[in-house]
Amino acid sequence: MASADKPINTDVPEKDVFALHFLQSLSNLRRQNAFNSPDDTTNNRVKKIKKAAYVSMARAAGGTNRLWSRALLRRAAKENNKVVIFSRRKKRVTWLRRSNRRDPVDAERLRNLLPGGGAMETSKLMEETAHYIKCLSMQVKVMQCLVDGLSAK
Amino acid sequence: MDLSGRFGVRSGGGLLFREETALESLHLGGGDEFRQMVPPENGGGFTALLELPPTQAVELLHSSSSSSSQATSLHTLGVLAFPSNSVLMERAARFSVIATENQQTGNVSGETPTTTSSVPSNEHIKTEPAETETSDQAAVEKQNNRCGKRKDFDKKAKGSSKKNKSSEENEKLPYVHVRARRGQATDSHSLAERARREKINARMKLLQELVPGCDKIQGTALVLDEIINHVQSLQRQVEMLSMRLASVNPRIDFNLDTILSSENGSLMDGNFNGAAMQLAWPHQVMETEQSYHHRQLQQPPPQQWPFDGLNQPVWGREEDQDHGNDHNSLMVGSASLHPNQVKMEL
Repeated sequence: MASADKPINTDVPEKDVFALHFLQSLSNLRRQNAFNSPDDTTNNRVKKIKKAAYVSMARAAGGTNRLWSRALLRRAAKENNKVVIFSRRKKRVTWLRRSNRRDPVDAERLRNLLPGGGAMETSKLMEETAHYIKCLSMQVKVMQCLVDGLSAK
Repeated sequence: MDLSGRFGVRSGGGLLFREETALESLHLGGGDEFRQMVPPENGGGFTALLELPPTQAVELLHSSSSSSSQATSLHTLGVLAFPSNSVLMERAARFSVIATENQQTGNVSGETPTTTSSVPSNEHIKTEPAETETSDQAAVEKQNNRCGKRKDFDKKAKGSSKKNKSSEENEKLPYVHVRARRGQATDSHSLAERARREKINARMKLLQELVPGCDKIQGTALVLDEIINHVQSLQRQVEMLSMRLASVNPRIDFNLDTILSSENGSLMDGNFNGAAMQLAWPHQVMETEQSYHHRQLQQPPPQQWPFDGLNQPVWGREEDQDHGNDHNSLMVGSASLHPNQVKMEL
């Protein structure tokens, strides 16, 4: 029988953590020569920054302990031909869709939105979404602060 | 057809023939199984039946174990009308698949009696095998535990009309008040399914609190839409901000750069420490920095890099030296750093 798990943990680290990781990745970007040279198109830069933002968010939010962050990191690492190091996986990957009978709460769009959402059960999906939303809003706040600080000069 | 057989069986009660419509009697047949409580309430002709002694009721129930097939007849007869017996309807709605089969929303858990809800969509009744009497016992306790949660099903009814075919089977024991519904193949599956649905609903509630403006919305589909919109808007915001950052970035020379580079090695290790660091980060960022310091015996100035950088109202200013002198104070009290972050307002 399915048992109800009582506490749904969606704690998110403080803003400092996110800021830390983001600035770190930004500095990494700056150190790339290609980034600062004028022949790097704006679009590329935007993309890189965006990617850096997501990756840093994933790291700040939970590293490989969260499904969505894990999927995000893996996706990013694949593009860079790197390997994601898994540390301390709490549970083994669920044998999903088999047990996930598509009930009327069909969260297909949500699955598409959330990184790694295609491989989760619906209840797990929602939990991850909650965490993802929190982390996203935190990341947005950090970036907003950064932009304000930079542009206020 | 089964009906005749059932009528014969129930002739002991002698009540069915009093019913006005065959429909009603049919419903009665369906309802019988669910009615453990024998309420002496008023109402239509059903009440008489209800007043049967429990044993007889049980017998009826047992005899009607083949009721699954009768469901088809119920279905063909269409909507049953029980205008007079609201209490009965309530109970029937509560107990019977009938309510669930309909696509009506509020009827599943059946607090709201609705006459039209009495028609069971028999596909489901058909699918279920003869009641598993043995498993009922086990189901009873569980059901009794869940009686209080009946209200949840009001919400779920709409979304889960297809699947929800109730979980628990109706037990045949008299006087056991159970929220039973015609359900899935076996009890364990149905129970698991119900538990799962409850899980999902709990999470949905959590999400609703998270997303602003979701509390007022009724219905899971709309709430989901709202959640998706919120996530999309957040993602778009990230993209917008990254665009702005990209445009702003080059004209500022990052002093952070030098600071960060020296600190990078230590911090990179920290990232991959995984949970340990994650636990440390939220509480005492300074603390971990100090631990880094101890580990690496680095010079203090690099250690304060994040706060330095954040501390600077203007990125380009070369004020490291000034802050470098402050590092002692920083290490002493992490709390003191935060008041300094006026500009960044983190």
